[in-house]
Amino acid sequence: MGGYGDVQLLRDDGLRLDGRKLDEMREVQIEAGVLPAADGSAWVKHGLNVAVCAVYGPMEAHPRKIQRQDRAVIDLRYNMAPFSTSDRIRPGFNRRSREISKVTAEALESVVLVERYPRSKIRVEIEILSAEAGTRCVGITAASVALADAGIPMRDMIVGVASGKVEDTVVLDLDKAEDNYGQADLPMGILPTTEEIAFLQMDGDLSVEEFNLCMEYNMKAAKEIHEIQMDALRRRYESKNGGA
Amino acid sequence: MGSPVGRHGDKEMTGAKEGAVQRLVTPGEAIGASSGARAGTGTLKQGDNIISTKLGYAKENNGVLFVEPIYSAYLPRSGDLVVGVIESVRNNLWFAEVNGPFNGLLPMSLAPWKVEFGAAREHMDIGDVMLARVQEVDEAHNIVLTMKGVGLRKLKEGSVLELPVNLIKTIRENNEEILNILKEISDCRIIVGDNGRIWVDGDPANITTVRDGIDLIKSMGHESNVLSSIQNYANERRNN
Amino acid sequence: MVEIVSNLLRQELANLAAADKRIDGRGRWESRDILLETDCLYNAEGSAKVTWGDTIVYAGVKFEVRAPWPDRPTQGSLMCGAELRPVAALKYEAGPPSPESIELGRVVDRGIRESGCIDMDSLCIIPGEKVLGVMIDIHVLSDQGNVFDASALAAIAALKTAIVPAERFDIGEDYPLQVQKTPTMCTFTRVGGRYVIDANVEEETGGEERVHITLAEEGHLHSLQKGLKGTLTPAEFAEILEVAQNRCAELAELVKSKEA
Repeated sequence: MGGYGDVQLLRDDGLRLDGRKLDEMREVQIEAGVLPAADGSAWVKHGLNVAVCAVYGPMEAHPRKIQRQDRAVIDLRYNMAPFSTSDRIRPGFNRRSREISKVTAEALESVVLVERYPRSKIRVEIEILSAEAGTRCVGITAASVALADAGIPMRDMIVGVASGKVEDTVVLDLDKAEDNYGQADLPMGILPTTEEIAFLQMDGDLSVEEFNLCMEYNMKAAKEIHEIQMDALRRRYESKNGGA
Repeated sequence: MGSPVGRHGDKEMTGAKEGAVQRLVTPGEAIGASSGARAGTGTLKQGDNIISTKLGYAKENNGVLFVEPIYSAYLPRSGDLVVGVIESVRNNLWFAEVNGPFNGLLPMSLAPWKVEFGAAREHMDIGDVMLARVQEVDEAHNIVLTMKGVGLRKLKEGSVLELPVNLIKTIRENNEEILNILKEISDCRIIVGDNGRIWVDGDPANITTVRDGIDLIKSMGHESNVLSSIQNYANERRNN
Repeated sequence: MVEIVSNLLRQELANLAAADKRIDGRGRWESRDILLETDCLYNAEGSAKVTWGDTIVYAGVKFEVRAPWPDRPTQGSLMCGAELRPVAALKYEAGPPSPESIELGRVVDRGIRESGCIDMDSLCIIPGEKVLGVMIDIHVLSDQGNVFDASALAAIAALKTAIVPAERFDIGEDYPLQVQKTPTMCTFTRVGGRYVIDANVEEETGGEERVHITLAEEGHLHSLQKGLKGTLTPAEFAEILEVAQNRCAELAELVKSKEA
């Protein structure tokens, strides 16, 4: 976390700078099936974050060394487009995107029925086009919709959502200022039906009580985003006429 | 040609007669109680519920709950008729790309010709298209193909169209009703592979007629009125 | 991943060409529908999304303040890069930028740079000390044929709608980037023995060499590139250049319709 100086993040009326209540998330919009070249795809706008995800496969796992005899592997790349942040990002993998790619792939392997496809891989490509705090969560939400769209079997959907702490107060879904100047950030990948946690990271400073409140907020938000995911998948086929 | 086997339950026995609105479900969604019903394809038992593991339509047949998926990748099964493209050739075997996760292996002994060791390329080379059957799929998903059988051969003319495997079922429904309409209006020879590939042979203009029809089916996805749309399309063609 | 090309596809493309037809029913010099959207990326100073048939490309413009090159103390700089990441198609693999990505970025870069559409002296803030660098990044999300023309269109449209964030750099008030010309690209692909414009994915797969022509509205050539295995004759080039003149003029009009 960026540390907390004299930046005011909560208004005198108790609301946040953008007018949200403490347990209110930013607006989320989802579309399924937006990329004609992919087997499955999704577009997610969460606040000012925009993520697009493509899924290809299952296909034979290459290179051989990543192949597993008993299950499929998720071959995932999380990537931020050079123009996605206010300072341009040099193209290519960096340590941050590698780490996020690894734990996101493992989170998805926990919900996809990978044992159905031995020796295979399922390629998941997450591209962040616009970033405004919380992109790893938006990527998880998008990947889940894209996997369902690709017909990949899963035992649940998965939703990415974060809570954190600003000015010693727990808030849901940090925006950019709150992320930069807040005291803690707890991103999670939640299975909305079973309430299991498949993705978990945290940095900053949280008491146990604060953590529990973050968890409560995240669970609540996961259910809301799950509804939007399901709506996107249904809309794609109920009024469907053409690909993208 | 292979009979239209319902992959996810027998359509004739369940689908049409109910007439109820089909319920579109997403992975993780409960589609019924696990007591009493059995979990069929596209579903899992989870606690007290049977849940869907796929995006698709929830259905029931004789106490078995199953989900008919909207989109599925091709997973080969023994007996499938497939349209493949030769990807590599060895002295005594061919590898063919069959639209699945793994290439199919065609040994010299299952080819329709008498092949001298080392002369495989003279019969089929890289890029050649063939009609084969899946002889065997082992546990590790290795696929053995055969070209011994009536009609199995190298395809020297025509073109190959693609359609998601779940829609292959749609065009074969009701004694291949849609397929027969396409054959009638185009005067083309059409062979439908189980692997989502359709071989069409005829005049270039007639192949285009089939291609446009297949594109129409692709764009309609899983809508219930695919048949009537194809009938309208056919009427337009007949009037031209 | 090397794509295998089915011999039936090559044969069909040749048959269609002989009958002066294309696989998706278009005419030789007929393009797929193009949808151009601008100002669509929140964090970019200029942006465009091009949906060209089933091909989807984004371009975003960013600026930086930097020291000028010693030999050009009053000139800013321009850089255009492209990424054909694995999101765009099954055939693209992860790893360092592929030769295809680099070629795409450089061909688009040359067309924009050499048209002189940006006066490099106008990017000077303090001679010898501070100049603006303009960076265009092209991001291909879906490759279903003709990513070159779609990328060039997205790049010039993003550039033409870019706002220099001068306040953020402490050099005055924000202002629109001055772009004097509208270079656009028209790509010709040999399919079934003859050239067509705007090849789709099947035509690219079963086709041969391609020629990229970038023209600005005055009709001058600013960038050429021949890619892939194959040759062409001067007579063929004369024919496609004439087609490119009309085509690029139409594309330039499309870009101009998005300018404020």
